Amino acid sequence: MNSKKIFIVIPAFNEAKVIQSVISEVKSAGYQNIIVIDDGSADNTQEKAKELEVIVLRHKLNRGKGAATKTGIEAAKLLEAEIIVTMDGDGQHDPGDISKLIEPILEGNCDVVLGTRLKNTEGMPFQRIIANKIGNLITWFLFGLYVTDSQSGFRAYSRQAAEIINTRGDRYDYDSEVIREIYTHKLKFKEVPVKVRYTEYSMGKLQKQGFINGVKTFYKMFWKLIN
Amino acid sequence: MTIHIYQIIVVGISVVMIYSGIESLVRGKSGQTLTKLLIRIFVWGGMSLIALFPSFTNILASLVGLQGNINAVILTVFLLIFLMIFKLLSAIERLEQSISELTRKESLEEIKKK
Repeated sequence: MNSKKIFIVIPAFNEAKVIQSVISEVKSAGYQNIIVIDDGSADNTQEKAKELEVIVLRHKLNRGKGAATKTGIEAAKLLEAEIIVTMDGDGQHDPGDISKLIEPILEGNCDVVLGTRLKNTEGMPFQRIIANKIGNLITWFLFGLYVTDSQSGFRAYSRQAAEIINTRGDRYDYDSEVIREIYTHKLKFKEVPVKVRYTEYSMGKLQKQGFINGVKTFYKMFWKLIN
Repeated sequence: MTIHIYQIIVVGISVVMIYSGIESLVRGKSGQTLTKLLIRIFVWGGMSLIALFPSFTNILASLVGLQGNINAVILTVFLLIFLMIFKLLSAIERLEQSISELTRKESLEEIKKK
């Protein structure tokens, strides 16, 4: 496939410190179509991203990682993307893994490829492993599909899947809602092990997504089921 | 019939709340609907009724099917509060989604212009 049809979507909130290195790494991996969504950052994430000549969209208000990802996917669809890859803006994902994610879609075997951190947990903090496993169980209980990393933001979607998947979650519940959509629409999916780089910076971010946010995510998922 | 201070306070507040609801509807203020006004009359009117005629709770208890009149009142109030919270949370959820949708549309304008 023409690489012009592959788009990388990077939601970013207050990532001015690392966004340029993330973009540079993605470019070095051979992907030039990069969409950064500055989700209402208070720092100069937008300016830093623009310096590297990528498409930068800005949410005037912070709406959450899920909402920013969805905006990026909508933008990629408008730009006639055939494959859309989403990855976090804090540098925890290795752009070297993008090729592994898009390969099953290029071969026509899959609609969605989920990057999973839990097939290789080396270097992953223990409490993070437990939190992710709990997230997987809750996602399975509420939405009916068990995957090994329901909270991973490193994923690839075919154009068809991106058109079908319809989410309402603005925050971290978005990732689980995608699993629900895969199950509901019987989309073909595959889980591919990806590396995660737990740097001091990304670990600082992870601390902010701690227990309280986990409870909030569960509440939002449950609320949407009964509402 | 002896009138206690708490009865005057409850009835006074109820009258003010119901009056302001009717006034909002008559003046066509945004956000006020007949349903909301009826709920307001039901809640505040009910409180006044119980304050003025405590024996009314016995009728309520037999209607609801509970033996204790206080239990009936607590259960009814609990259900009402639950419904109100549910409605409020639904409204907040819809607002949140509208804000996200607006924010998204605005940010995508740049691409659509090209």
